[in-house]
Amino acid sequence: METKGQQGIVEVVSEKIWKFFASVKLAVVLLIILAAVSIVGTVIQQNQAPEDYLREYSQSTIDLFESIGLFDLYHTWWFVLLLLLFTANLTICTLDRFPSAWKAIRAPLRPMSEEGFKALPCKKELTIKGSTEEAEAVVIRALSSGRYKYALSKEQGMTHIASQRGAYSRLGVYITHVSILLIFTGAIIGAFFGFKGFLNLPEGEASSVVYLRNEPIWDKIMDGFGISKSQVILDPRIGVPAMPLGYYVRCDNFEVDYYTNQGRPTGMPSEYWSQLSVFDMERQKVLDKRIRVNDPLTHHGITFYQSSYGTIPNASGKVVLTVKMKNSADAGEKVVAELDGTVYVPSIDRTIRILGVSPYGVRDPMSGQIQYYRSQNGEFVNPVVELEVLRGSKPVYRTQVMKVDPGEPSMPENYTISYSDYWGARYTGLQVTKDPGVLVVYSGFILLCIGPIIAFFGSHRKIWVRLQDRKGQTAVMAGGSSNRNRIGFEREFAGIFEKIAK
Amino acid sequence: MESSLLFNLATLAYLAAMVLYVAFLVLKKENVGKSASVLAYAGLAVQTVALIMRWAESYQMGIGRVPLSNLYESLVFFTWCTVLIYVVVEWKYKTRAFGAFVMPVAFMALAFINVAGISNDITPLVPALKSNWLLYHVLLSFISYATFGVAFAVSIIYLLQDTEERGSAGYLAAALGISTVLIVLGYVLNSAGMKVQFWMGLGILAMVWFTYMVVKGALSRPQVYLFITFCTTLASGMLIFMGIDFLIFKMLHQTSAADDGFRKHMFESTFISNSIPVIAISWAGVLALFAVIWSSGLKIKVMLKQFLPAQEILDDLNYRMIAIGWPLFTAGGLVMGAIWANSAWGTYWGWDPKETWSLITWFVYSIYLHARYVRGWKGTQMAVISSIGFLSVIFTYLGVNLVLSGLHSYGGMN
Ligand code: HEM
Repeated sequence: METKGQQGIVEVVSEKIWKFFASVKLAVVLLIILAAVSIVGTVIQQNQAPEDYLREYSQSTIDLFESIGLFDLYHTWWFVLLLLLFTANLTICTLDRFPSAWKAIRAPLRPMSEEGFKALPCKKELTIKGSTEEAEAVVIRALSSGRYKYALSKEQGMTHIASQRGAYSRLGVYITHVSILLIFTGAIIGAFFGFKGFLNLPEGEASSVVYLRNEPIWDKIMDGFGISKSQVILDPRIGVPAMPLGYYVRCDNFEVDYYTNQGRPTGMPSEYWSQLSVFDMERQKVLDKRIRVNDPLTHHGITFYQSSYGTIPNASGKVVLTVKMKNSADAGEKVVAELDGTVYVPSIDRTIRILGVSPYGVRDPMSGQIQYYRSQNGEFVNPVVELEVLRGSKPVYRTQVMKVDPGEPSMPENYTISYSDYWGARYTGLQVTKDPGVLVVYSGFILLCIGPIIAFFGSHRKIWVRLQDRKGQTAVMAGGSSNRNRIGFEREFAGIFEKIAK
Repeated sequence: MESSLLFNLATLAYLAAMVLYVAFLVLKKENVGKSASVLAYAGLAVQTVALIMRWAESYQMGIGRVPLSNLYESLVFFTWCTVLIYVVVEWKYKTRAFGAFVMPVAFMALAFINVAGISNDITPLVPALKSNWLLYHVLLSFISYATFGVAFAVSIIYLLQDTEERGSAGYLAAALGISTVLIVLGYVLNSAGMKVQFWMGLGILAMVWFTYMVVKGALSRPQVYLFITFCTTLASGMLIFMGIDFLIFKMLHQTSAADDGFRKHMFESTFISNSIPVIAISWAGVLALFAVIWSSGLKIKVMLKQFLPAQEILDDLNYRMIAIGWPLFTAGGLVMGAIWANSAWGTYWGWDPKETWSLITWFVYSIYLHARYVRGWKGTQMAVISSIGFLSVIFTYLGVNLVLSGLHSYGGMN
């Protein structure tokens, strides 16, 4: 940065800019501004539907807020600009200071001058018995026991021992700063080359596209300049941009488990999961996985998260039952029947007719009576299947089977029918994202966890000792400094000095 | 549930310890101080057992989860960490002077649970919360909150020691005048349906004042005194009035699962009641609190004088608490929260109010760390920033759920 002699206007200006961005004051100011602006974004709800805003604000306020982007504050150009300024600040500040920090780390150990000694924050003197050589050994032992590395030099009858510890802890701050830059970089990579989307997939159906919330910015730019065509397609039926996956994903099954209270489902989901299969474009199965909340499926860099579910309005599903001989150890036979339909089961020579399915019923184990409840959004909390068993076309008996049954369904013949699934009337809500920047972000996270620990709990400590012969005795003068945690250092220094004195 | 009984015992022990710590400051008797410490240790031990028992109870109930996932459990854990850290500080710094300041934080948090009647049922978790990342996230966040809490107490003491006088009555009059104007304006705007704008304006004003305090703080001691009074009034007033609101809400609605409904009606029984006398009484209450803190601050200072370590040590302790809390908050509060969100929804950062407020808190403490390198920013300013940081912690933890979603009359975040 330092140029001698003639300085052009460019140098002067660029040096000014550099100084401006290297200042910690700017960092503090930017952090205050970022905090203040972020607060505004939490007070005004973000990204709500227009009618929700109308309930809160007058039209003129809405227009005002809209024009400065307060309804999507964190994605406005000026908020991004603030973040970029902060990034520039962080980068330049780090670049500005790193060379001298590196020098301080790598600097060879040198004896301390007389004046330097006087300026040390921590110093002690004493005279001990024995020759300089003996004293030297004692000092070195004391320093080594404190894990100090030392260098020895002799001049004019004086022995200088310079020692230090934890020089590399000076890197902690830089690791921390670089980690923040890595996280920003990862976030930018994600926004440019990744996408966020969703897919509501009914049981049994497959899709080769997902619907987008955020398009990859890179694709948009390239498309805008006419350099390459964006992969995004607009599905006119839905009016939402869609991203082709390059393969099919199918929902084979979806299930919700509910918490139970004394054997009865409470309507509070404990877990929900989807059985997903992936097929390539030739419809060959590639893989399948059962995904749950917190346990997604990833294929070709695209990840499918279980995020919601719902009932398809007016859809009627299929009832899956298991028929099993009493006293038999095998798993039984699965039969599938349409609602209001019949199915013939050869192994028992009976026909089963499905009379109806209700979404939420609970059997009283004592009386065998079933209590029916209304469930939120028609959710299948505990489906009850009402069925009739026929021999030929003659009805034999009626019974009800259900998913979680605290009692016993009546099964008068030598086989049992049990509920397995009600299939095809629900969809699974998948959050679908591609984020090629996430590894960069995570490596930033790791450094962000390590850096501060080094920065706060490490310290670069130096101790200098000079020994002078005083007629068979040795004068010891010791002094030291530490770049942080002075109190801790003083305690350590006193301890080491005590060892020398003994 | 036997654990509840033990939690109550711990609450009582903390209450007694708090009284004794205060008595110790007043009476200056070594024995009183010792028994205060013994009670604090005993309370901590009982609470530790209670935490473990509650954990075991959840397994007996077939739910099986670490006791950290609702308001009740997190408040209990927060007090546990706070007392633990306090005990360590008492032991390392060999002073009981902080006890009278830290114990009330612990006791008030536990009392808030009881007064507000926050449900202590062991409830099952919704699927998204079943994640180990979430567990580490909550665990580390609360430990860091506790260190910030201790730093807050230390900062307040520092600032108190820093203050020689309250300043002329003019400062107080000006502050009260400005507050009155703001409050009246608040009601006018509120009735005009401009709640959000009002809160925003208030927030911006507070920010401006805080910034001014930080930059100029060292120059005007009376302002610093006003600042401490304001901070302590805000912290204790928020808890007290939220408690009152919750109580009245519960009496009126007779429901236990009222968390959600309560949010929408937050402060309706006090500050935004339909009845003007109620509003007046509420504000009178705040003023009284303010007056008590204002007038007794210097007396406490005199009492404290002989117990306290030097100001440099207080400053250093403040820094150390933050040097422990900040990395924990970074790793636990931000990083693990982000990892959890990414494994549950595929976004590590979504700018939702809770996340954003954690970030704001993190910014405040980052400002603290960097301000040390800005020339001329010393103990006083650092203590001011640390106090702001803890107000931000309280808001992140309670305010976001209770105030922000209550601001939006149709409620229901997420
Ligand atoms: C949010 C982003 C940032 C984080 C998380 C961060 C983190 C840290 C941490 C943990 C320390 C050590 C503090 C201490 O030891 O007390 C530090 C020191 C420092 N930071 Fe930052 N920092 C950030 C942004 C910045 C920016 C933008 C600047 C630019 C001016 C900056 C300049 C410094 C300086 C000069 C130091 C002192 C270095 C030293 O010890 O020699 N930081 N930072």
